Amino acid sequence: MDMLGLFPVFYFPEFGTAWLMGITGTIHVLFSHTSVGAAILFAFLAHKAYKEDRADLYVYMKKYGMFLLIFSYVLGSITGPGIWYTATAASPRGISALIHNFVWVWATEWVFFVYEVIGVFALVYFIGKIDRKTHLKLTYTFALASVGTLALIIGIISFMMWPGADAYFTTGSASDAFFGVNTFPHMFLRIGFMIMMSAVIGIFIASAMKKENPPLAQELTKKMGVVAIFGGFMTLFFFMWYINTLPESSHVLLSRLLPGIIMSRLILTGVFTAYFALAIFKPTWIHKSLAASMIVVILVAGLWPGEKLRESLRKPFVAGQYIYSNQIIGRDVPGKGIKSEVEVVAKNGLLKVSPFVPESLRVITPENKLQAGELLAKMACSNCHSLDKNGKYRPLSKLFPMNDKGALVSYMKDVIGTGSVPYMPKIVLPDDEYDAIATWLVEKNK
Amino acid sequence: MDATILNLLRDPAGVPFYPVVFQGLYVLTWALHIAFVLLALGSMGLSIYGSTQQKSDSNWKLLTPHLIQTGKLSISILIVLGVAPLLFTQVIYDPNWYTTNALSGIWIFIFIYALIVGYLMYYWYYYANKAGRASNTLIGTISFAILVFCGVLMHNFAVESIQPDKWLAWYAPNGVVDTSGLNFHYDLIRLAFMVSLVIPVLGIFLQNYSDFLSTRKDFTSKYIEFTKKLGTKTAVGGLLVSAVLFILWMLQENMLLSVISLATIAGVVVLLLMAKMNKNSYITTVVLVVVALLISGVREIIRYNLMADHGYNIYTYTMNIDWPSTIMFLLTFLFLGVTGVAFILRMAWKVGKNEGTVFDGQNDKLTRVLGTATLWILVAWMGIYFAWGMFTLFKNTLV
Ligand code: HEM
Repeated sequence: MDMLGLFPVFYFPEFGTAWLMGITGTIHVLFSHTSVGAAILFAFLAHKAYKEDRADLYVYMKKYGMFLLIFSYVLGSITGPGIWYTATAASPRGISALIHNFVWVWATEWVFFVYEVIGVFALVYFIGKIDRKTHLKLTYTFALASVGTLALIIGIISFMMWPGADAYFTTGSASDAFFGVNTFPHMFLRIGFMIMMSAVIGIFIASAMKKENPPLAQELTKKMGVVAIFGGFMTLFFFMWYINTLPESSHVLLSRLLPGIIMSRLILTGVFTAYFALAIFKPTWIHKSLAASMIVVILVAGLWPGEKLRESLRKPFVAGQYIYSNQIIGRDVPGKGIKSEVEVVAKNGLLKVSPFVPESLRVITPENKLQAGELLAKMACSNCHSLDKNGKYRPLSKLFPMNDKGALVSYMKDVIGTGSVPYMPKIVLPDDEYDAIATWLVEKNK
Repeated sequence: MDATILNLLRDPAGVPFYPVVFQGLYVLTWALHIAFVLLALGSMGLSIYGSTQQKSDSNWKLLTPHLIQTGKLSISILIVLGVAPLLFTQVIYDPNWYTTNALSGIWIFIFIYALIVGYLMYYWYYYANKAGRASNTLIGTISFAILVFCGVLMHNFAVESIQPDKWLAWYAPNGVVDTSGLNFHYDLIRLAFMVSLVIPVLGIFLQNYSDFLSTRKDFTSKYIEFTKKLGTKTAVGGLLVSAVLFILWMLQENMLLSVISLATIAGVVVLLLMAKMNKNSYITTVVLVVVALLISGVREIIRYNLMADHGYNIYTYTMNIDWPSTIMFLLTFLFLGVTGVAFILRMAWKVGKNEGTVFDGQNDKLTRVLGTATLWILVAWMGIYFAWGMFTLFKNTLV
């Protein structure tokens, strides 16, 4: 009997497992981008402080380095493995594909991380304890190392979207997988965002020190306003380029979502342009509470939808355009000797080819049909859909509220089973498995 | 799980280099991870005791904030050092790691948030202690408990992953599939041994601390003596406890007479003598590192043998060697890793030895050379990265 290397399923009730990942991912994006941006900003400030012999800037750097750097690095470094861990529980084979293609890239990134984590403490605690020139060198290396971590992870997350050229499929080479057409636009889009983020936080910090040192607070708020506008412009510019480097499969979903995205991005751009203009022209008007609220706005209105979009556009794959979201390998990758598994599943059914299905469920009987249907739905659908009736994440019961089993079966067989919905995996199952899923869903909808 | 299935669970992409290299890197980096886990928990635990003594005792008043600071840095370092074994374990033992993650999915999620809360509370503890607030002991204790709990979860993942014969029963007890990810299993002796190592590591750290400060004139000899004695007492007592637990663990694994287990025991005896005499604690630390590597090796041998018994041999993993990325890692590790870390450690050492004055790195040849080298290595790295990327893109899209 043909078996496939499928892992057990972990399903988080109501939300679905991908959602857990989304939360951790969004928090991570906030902190990791802030931290890299802050490293760049720190280098800029240190340069200025050194060249212009500004003792007041060192005080600012020391005092707020704690908050800006250490806080974001610490949270970034925990949520980083955090996404990795939760992604593993949700999509083991997706993560596995990334690890087995890019282990050395990740290992290289780890060297940069080690440098950063000890560097961040040195950077803040050594102010005033070592000479300024050595400190300046340290800040430069720190900023470069931070950008280095982005340079390394970006090829991997771009590969999650798609390899970006056909070469990878025939060569299996990590370089071909890493440097696709969307790697660089994606990278500069993020650098723009990082610069903007660090300035947004810089404004917050400047607003917090308005009482102690009003002239410095004003000067910094103005400067940060300019930096933020530059970062924001860069983000938008590269976003447009980035969108054009996405794979074919994402265009259908994109054309449906784009009008909404453009509208909301336009509003955000307007709001933030006004905010940054205020920082430049009326720095004294910016109060701590406004500055803090704007950070929350970015998190809620900018990052969360942005990350959700990226996740949706990747569908039906989770990695490299060969691992489907539901963990089945959807195409051959001759360069690595990888074979599509769709046909094996079609021939034998998921229940027979998954090592972790208990013997009692391998053959569907009238007695175990509901149980089998539920397990099948977990294996085939739950990576993208909540299975609970009022689930939060594209719940199946809302998408298929009907009680007509026949209609459900024919939808699964004729639409999903033929791969006609470009953003859903081609799930070809034997008739009895379609029937079991439909039976379970109808029962659930009652 | 039989051999066919275990082998089937391997990634079809194969591994990009010789499996033994990943295994070696795993053993090395896990030893580093656990070293800082132990230092973090040890200094944190003792600082909590110190926080109750510091009002009335001048020694503890000095030591406690230093311990808290050590804990703070060590947690950050243990996290970043944990990333490496996390990476390497899933390259060669992916069937084990991914099954465990799915079986204990909810604990994985809890682990991350517990770590965030635990570490943030630790910063709170740090500030509360600095401000002399009475609540510091309580906050520290909660934070400590949460971080210990994180360690227990780590242990859960480790022991689940090496029991492939139980996976199916855990996933589908009595044939009913359970996708809740709530599995939690432990091995009390192994856990007790790992936790017990906190004590000797803390003891040897205190010996180092006392040696390091002994050259500084702003610390009294009374204080140096106090930390030295405390270190020796802790190290010796802790080593005895750990040795007993290690022997029990090895008996349980049927490995007591294996070469590596005997070597570990010999290492512990040497450590015990050195810690007791306390002539040069820096050399003791070198031996401690060797013993940590041996313990890491023991863990790996347990897993390797167990999996080999199940018919799963990491050395037969399909290989698709990828030279460019392998070379990138090796060069970055050697050049940036060694130079960069040496640069910062050199500064840290000098700053620590300086009494209140500013350390002039420009006047210290080693610092100057290391700093400049690190900077140029990074600049060159970026240059190569973009050149490599553009070459690949041109080749794949334009030609
Ligand atoms: C306070 C936080 C942590 C503590 C107290 C801790 C403690 C431990 C302990 C006691 C073990 C050994 C378990 C055993 O062999 O029985 C271990 C293993 C391990 N830890 Fe940590 N750890 C922590 C955080 C982390 C983090 C954040 C990561 C990853 C980024 C990590 C990665 C690992 C890995 C990969 C292993 C080996 C697992 C295996 O091989 O099965 N740890 N840790």
